[in-house]
Amino acid sequence: MMIPFGHALSFAAALFVLGLTCVLLRRQVIMILIGVEIMLNAASLVFVSASAYWQQVDGQVFVILLMAITAAEVAVALAMVVYLWRRKRTLVADEFNGMSG
Amino acid sequence: MSESLLFLIPLLPLCCAVINMLFGMRLPRLFAEIMAVTGVAGAFLLTILFWGYAEGEGTRVVIFTWLNSGAVDVSFAMNFDRLAAPMTLMVTGVATLIHLYAVGYMHEEEDYARFFGLLNLFVFAMLAIILADNLLVLFLGWEGVGLCSYGLIGFWYRKLENAKAGTKAFLVTRVGDVFLAIALLWLFAATGTLNISEINAQAASISPGVVIALSLLLLLGACGKSAQLPLMTWLADAMAGPTPVSALIHAATMVTAGVYLLCRLFPLVSLSAVGMTAITAIGALTALYAATCAMAQREIKRVLAYSTMSQVGYMFMAVGAGTVTGAMFHLLTHAFFKAVLFMAAGCVIHLAGDENDIYKMGGMARRGPVELFWVFLAGAVCLAGLPLTGGFFSKDGILLALFTHPDPAYRVFWLIGVLTALLTAFYTFRLVYLVFAGEWRGTGHPHAIPLQMRWPLWPLALLGLVGGMLNLPALVGGDEMLHHWYGDLAGRAVTASHSTEWMLIGFAVAIVALGWFAAHWRYRNYRPPVENRVSRFLLNGWQADALVDRLLVRPFTVMARFCSSGCDRSLFDGTLEGLAKMATRYSALLVQLATGRATTYLSAFAWGFLVLLGWFLLKLVNGGGH
Amino acid sequence: MTTVLFYILGFIMLTATLLCITRRNPVHAVIYLVAGFFALALMFYLLGAPLVAAWQIIVYAGAIMVLFLFIIMMLGLAPQETPEGPGWRRWGPLVLLSASLMVCTVLLIMQDPAAGKEIGDFYLAPQAVGEALFGRYVLAVEMVSFQLLFATIGAYLLGRPLSRGEGQ
Repeated sequence: MMIPFGHALSFAAALFVLGLTCVLLRRQVIMILIGVEIMLNAASLVFVSASAYWQQVDGQVFVILLMAITAAEVAVALAMVVYLWRRKRTLVADEFNGMSG
Repeated sequence: MSESLLFLIPLLPLCCAVINMLFGMRLPRLFAEIMAVTGVAGAFLLTILFWGYAEGEGTRVVIFTWLNSGAVDVSFAMNFDRLAAPMTLMVTGVATLIHLYAVGYMHEEEDYARFFGLLNLFVFAMLAIILADNLLVLFLGWEGVGLCSYGLIGFWYRKLENAKAGTKAFLVTRVGDVFLAIALLWLFAATGTLNISEINAQAASISPGVVIALSLLLLLGACGKSAQLPLMTWLADAMAGPTPVSALIHAATMVTAGVYLLCRLFPLVSLSAVGMTAITAIGALTALYAATCAMAQREIKRVLAYSTMSQVGYMFMAVGAGTVTGAMFHLLTHAFFKAVLFMAAGCVIHLAGDENDIYKMGGMARRGPVELFWVFLAGAVCLAGLPLTGGFFSKDGILLALFTHPDPAYRVFWLIGVLTALLTAFYTFRLVYLVFAGEWRGTGHPHAIPLQMRWPLWPLALLGLVGGMLNLPALVGGDEMLHHWYGDLAGRAVTASHSTEWMLIGFAVAIVALGWFAAHWRYRNYRPPVENRVSRFLLNGWQADALVDRLLVRPFTVMARFCSSGCDRSLFDGTLEGLAKMATRYSALLVQLATGRATTYLSAFAWGFLVLLGWFLLKLVNGGGH
Repeated sequence: MTTVLFYILGFIMLTATLLCITRRNPVHAVIYLVAGFFALALMFYLLGAPLVAAWQIIVYAGAIMVLFLFIIMMLGLAPQETPEGPGWRRWGPLVLLSASLMVCTVLLIMQDPAAGKEIGDFYLAPQAVGEALFGRYVLAVEMVSFQLLFATIGAYLLGRPLSRGEGQ
């Protein structure tokens, strides 16, 4: 496979930027969380391609651990989404501005 | 008796002042009054007791060292010499009588502790001036009399005019004090000492230009306290104070402090002919100015105030003519008869029901106790210069000195002095006639005159009448006691041929008669006052107040307003407030960032991230890249 | 051949993600994202990480995205919330921001000397990954398991019914 390392990293960068755009652009909390997921996946791609480049296993190990942590985070985040829904019956992020000023 | 007890002379009034000020209201009233009178009377007795110490070279007593650093070595020291002794005697004696008078005059006043405290403090400050051994102690007393004068003129401060009169007196005399302070510092720079005797001894070695400047500065300083031109606007308004204050401060003591200063530094001042001429000129002009104003005044005390200004002008003329004896002689006799005139005027005001306007009085001779008229008349004839009274001899001595001065220009001053004498006689008898003659024109109820207000008048009236004995000229067989007492401090000896002296005496008598006749012709039978431009001009003191207001007060107010609202409020406050407002505005702008919304913060995060990346990129590019 | 495949998969992944982030309906977004994850998993495989690829599908696409779907449908977010859509009012500067970020990042990546070198053939069997995971990285594994425990407890606590004082 003759893929320059930079190309793989650029793919990851593009994915990351897309995830960032999703976070900044969307107003619903669910979509923001999805954006975060995309960004995390971009990070995974970086780790895996680096692992392939340096021919070592550590990158892949880290991706596995990352997935586990992501799962934990998503669990708590979605539980919080449910909680927010129950409090305000809306999921527009701009509504939660109690800490303004 | 040890000579170091001399310091008790100024100390007694000081102690009584302090006690009265601190505890006076808690002590029974009689006790406070007795304390006040005893303080001054004690000083008087001590002066008589220690009189012998003043003979010869005098006695110098050092109380304690005040400043001692480098070139300055000043101590609280007294110099009881031949010039100081008669003045001390006069001040303490007259002050004792006036204190007694004040006890009666102020017997309805509730704030007696403040009054008697200030009065005693004033006597202390005056004694500090008289007995000062060095210029710094003199300056201390100088300022002290200014302060007490302010406090006493504005004694009834709850009426705004009285407070304003006190402030005016203080501010105008302050201007004179500035000149005196400059002279003091310059003297120190020129001679290296502040001791009066040493300065007088070194006077001849100071360069002539500096001597002229110093004389003029000292003259201006004296003008402030003595209410001479151009610093005279405060004296007429100072009559707002109680009558004992007017009698003590503005007749006998404070206004003569200027004359005393010039006499003290006479060896220095007399060295410059320009300075002497200036002194005489100021004295002459003030005498004439004040006499013209006195002719048109309606309030009894204002007449006497302008009269004081005029007579102090005579004393200045005497100093300028070179005769210290003449000046001090007139100072002493004037103190006697002016004090009695003021005190009698106080009685008259009491009798008229607190009425000041002489056109609303009249017939006082019959209304009041008979002695009041005679005492007032005694003072009046002394003032007018009726022959054989004390005032006659002293005034004549001054006119003789002016006439016989080596500089022929002094004849002009003599002429002015004669003209002023005419006017003096005129306004004096105008006063007597309007107040005492004719029918009662007023409407008030008379207040009873306490005993303490009546009998101090007698000794002073007698002293005024016979005061001529102090320095009776040889012409009439006298021995010129005062002149011989002063010895080498006396200044120029006035000598003239007998014919000249008789001629001048005859002239003076004619002048007095003329003035009396004119007043009699015009005022013996009452006529309502004339209201025309001239009388109003004279009534307002030649519009001096208006002039001062236009020349000094208004520019000062403009400047003050500029500084306060222009600079202070607009510039400084405006800048500070502007800065604060700007800060608030920008903070309001910044606060918009803290929306509390997660999306806003995330956006900010992303933008910051972009900036960071951009910076790294730039660094890489500029660093030459890889 | 694999090179071309890699690029095609990359393209698919990016397109799917792009579609995902622009959908109004959250369910559609999740579906597109799952498609993107599939492409990503295959890219992982091509990069010599079969175990990671498998777990990408099992855990990410199969568990996490399903959880998202659960919550979306539980709360009834589709189709009621759709009319709001993305915040198109502010899409301009944000797209600019994203584009600039993209450009900067790519430029930075290109600066590195390693960027030009090619990724050689590489394949790591699951056994090797397992040995590394439970060998050198066993501590990290234990910590992550703690983390999962905390998440469980947290999710439980947050998911409890609201008491009287909270809520509207």
